[in-house]
Amino acid sequence: MKKFLKTAALFTASIAAFAQEPAAAAAAKGFDGHYLAHIALGLAALGGGIGMGKAIASASEGIARNPQASGNIRTTMILGLAFIESLVLYVLVLAFAKA
Amino acid sequence: MEHHVSLLAHWLTVVLGLQQHPWPGFAEGLPLSWLERYDHLFCATLAALATLAVCFAVKRKLARIPSPMQAGLESVLKGLQGLLDDSIAHHSEKYLPLVGTLTLFVFFCNLFGMVPGLNSPTSNWNVTLGCALLVFLYYNFEGLKKVGPLKYLAHFAGPVWWLAWLIFPLEVIGLFARILSHSVRLFANMSGEHVVSGLMFTALPLILPVPGMVLGLFSVLIQTFVFVLLTVIYISLAVAEEH
Repeated sequence: MKKFLKTAALFTASIAAFAQEPAAAAAAKGFDGHYLAHIALGLAALGGGIGMGKAIASASEGIARNPQASGNIRTTMILGLAFIESLVLYVLVLAFAKA
Repeated sequence: MEHHVSLLAHWLTVVLGLQQHPWPGFAEGLPLSWLERYDHLFCATLAALATLAVCFAVKRKLARIPSPMQAGLESVLKGLQGLLDDSIAHHSEKYLPLVGTLTLFVFFCNLFGMVPGLNSPTSNWNVTLGCALLVFLYYNFEGLKKVGPLKYLAHFAGPVWWLAWLIFPLEVIGLFARILSHSVRLFANMSGEHVVSGLMFTALPLILPVPGMVLGLFSVLIQTFVFVLLTVIYISLAVAEEH
């Protein structure tokens, strides 16, 4: 068992050696639009996070008031989270669109 | 975004000795065989075959005392029928064939992204756009068939006739925007999960991608459910009758 763990640890460590650094961004002078997508995604995640927090908070309160309905409430909450998350993901898609 | 060929398509290319050549304007001139170029269609075909295999495997051995696979499929269909009954007043079961097939197909498409060696076809916007267009054409066709073209157009006009000039364009824009949101939601969830797992892999391989992929497994189920629920809602809006 000890020998297996040592070999496994050795393999795991060696994989890190193959991790390549992400391509260095071109040296930019002044404002270049390369990071606009990052900022846009951050703003989208901000709005999405606030919305999801409200959704989960009201779902938790609903379950606390009426534990018997927790199945329904949980399903509705997951559904609502999926819709809010899709708004954030639209911005992620734009981050990969060229031009 | 660069084109990641599924391992199965690449292996089949090597085994079958398919010719690789660059495709103009695709993947920056990387030489690919036709199987690798269209591997989203290849994996989509596999997902369709998986759907058919599951359905035929259950159909052969239908019994009063259900086998586990039969019980599972029956509960899925019962859930879908419940969704349809909640939204559509009359004869909701006639929409079940499309909704059920779409569920199974989208579920297997999403699931193949989690299987090592295959790509999910739904992580390609073309496939999800195809599914969304199919749903769009289907519910419009059903709506037109049910109430006729004049009444169908009239229901876009809103509740009061003197606001119709305002509401009608908004409703029509919303109708076409549905295709975009329906397809991009599924596409972004599936491909975004891959991108995020890849980033986590470059950061800390073998350990960090695991929570990302667990979340990805959840999102496979949840996104299938959301896609199908939206299909049911769009159908219900199209075939809604005046009280």
